[in-house]
Amino acid sequence: MHNLQEPYKLEYPANFGNMIYIPADNPLTVAGVELGRKLFYETALSGNNQLSCASCHKQELAFTDGKQFSTGVDGSSTKRNSMALVNLLWTDNFFWDGRAKGLEQQVKFPLEDQHEMGQSLNILSRKLSEIRSYPGLFRKAFGTATISGELIAKALAQFERTLISSNSPYDQYLAGKYSPDSSQLRGMKLFFINPQPEKGIRGGACGHCHSGVKTTSQLYHNTGLDTIFTDGGRADVTGQTTDKGRFRVATLRNITLTSPYMHDGRFKSLNEVLDHYSDHIDEQPKLSPFLKDLSNQKNTKGLRLTLQEKEDIIQFLQMLTDSTFIKDPRFSNPSLISQ
Amino acid sequence: MKHKIAGAILLTILSLTTSGQTGQGTLTVKGEVGLPLTITTAGLSEFRHAEANMKDREGNMHKYTGVSVLSILDSAKVTLGKQLRGEHLKKYLLVKCADGYQVLFSLAELDPDFGNKTVILADRVDGKPLPEGKGPFRLIIPDDKALARNSYEVIEMIVSFAKD
Ligand code: HEC
Ligand code: HEC
Repeated sequence: MHNLQEPYKLEYPANFGNMIYIPADNPLTVAGVELGRKLFYETALSGNNQLSCASCHKQELAFTDGKQFSTGVDGSSTKRNSMALVNLLWTDNFFWDGRAKGLEQQVKFPLEDQHEMGQSLNILSRKLSEIRSYPGLFRKAFGTATISGELIAKALAQFERTLISSNSPYDQYLAGKYSPDSSQLRGMKLFFINPQPEKGIRGGACGHCHSGVKTTSQLYHNTGLDTIFTDGGRADVTGQTTDKGRFRVATLRNITLTSPYMHDGRFKSLNEVLDHYSDHIDEQPKLSPFLKDLSNQKNTKGLRLTLQEKEDIIQFLQMLTDSTFIKDPRFSNPSLISQ
Repeated sequence: MKHKIAGAILLTILSLTTSGQTGQGTLTVKGEVGLPLTITTAGLSEFRHAEANMKDREGNMHKYTGVSVLSILDSAKVTLGKQLRGEHLKKYLLVKCADGYQVLFSLAELDPDFGNKTVILADRVDGKPLPEGKGPFRLIIPDDKALARNSYEVIEMIVSFAKD
């Protein structure tokens, strides 16, 4: 074995489970993660040396950028809303439509996309070879100073896998260390429960898709945003018309920090999101079967949550904000730290 | 051998799947199979008919009709029956759906000599094709107490073996 680098120790709560994705040929090492972190904040990664990954994925916003659409090197706007980079260790299909399998493949999209960072991996490799510190850092991480697109991707993927958010008040509550207030408790119940009007049980059914502690099933669903699709979503990947308007269930971790919402950033606030699920779900054929026919009242359609219920759910969503994640020095820009 | 070879001949044989993608409304059967299959609703009649009544979440009874998953596995020449011994007992059937949902069954759970669990690939409910979002194929497992394996929009069946 020539790879005797110090392994990076991932830490996460047991209830996150071990269904994690680390390819056999890219184990996490301390040196690999450190290089990935430096690359993540490196503006040389873009054709005009002005954008880094962090331009569109800012730590203080749970690695989103607060914009409806992001601006790429050529001044054009991205087609979709920037995504939160959180708990990617448990993700296998990336982007709103799941078109990239594995983080190593995913990172090549923004790097090479003309409208994002706009630079071929070959040119980038050459550029980094000429920046003083990089050849040595690649040697430390991968045993070779010859920089390639593949190794750039591997290092970035290693860093991204460390972006674990598991210390929100909700996690503390699950660990018995946080007492939610009554509104949060009501919201939590509504979030996870399916409505059953015949039994007088009210619910929001959110947990069916935003399921488990990671608040996402990672599946593809149509949430009834549109009847005419300007963005085919999952259908653009599978070629199936039945997949039109389906997008990957988003994580709700740090959701208070990642507005605007949905794949096209159409909703500015969580109030607007709740209004959508409660009152504006289009009764269209492509709506997910798990949202269709949901009702809190016999013989009426739609969730029709009360103002208080919407507020309670939002109060629960606030419990998913992890203030340690957004301040964790291990995830910050390494060049800004004076040592 | 109890494979329904005659039925299998009428099916399109997949020579190569390029990216795991399937055509509109088709189901592919692959993995540890002797004969990979691509099944369309029209081709369903080649398998053994099966039906079951099952309650939905609201408690209303529906009649589902389709074919026995066991007969599909037989046609695909999966190691069932007398062959299901020794290392083959490590094998499972993984069912994949269009939304990415996946559920699995051990082969022994399905085999008549072992668990003999009834699993139906249904294409009709109450005599009508399944609605969009649930069809063209869904699983019906009448004896499961929970509904979660009764998956919608089934697009792939993969036979594989546990590697741990
Ligand atoms: C110009 C803005 C921009 C830049 C620069 C950018 N991204 Fe993104 N990122 C986005 C957008 C927009 C999406 C969603 C795109 C989509 O779904 O089509 C996204 C999605 C992602 C995802 C998918 C997350 C998930 O849950 O599926 C990852 C991972 C990611 N970016 C990592 C990176 C990395 C690493 C870099 C630097 C190499 C980078 N991004 C640079 C805008 C950007
Ligand atoms: C049928 C599955 C499903 C159900 C049920 C569901 N969601 Fe979603 N949710 C999704 C999908 C898919 C997306 C991404 C949709 C898109 O961008 O087009 C999403 C997106 C969101 C977003 C925006 C995330 C972001 O980063 O922009 C929020 C907030 C949200 N859902 C909250 C809720 C709440 C609250 C409920 C319950 C009232 C709920 N969801 C019920 C599937 C679901």
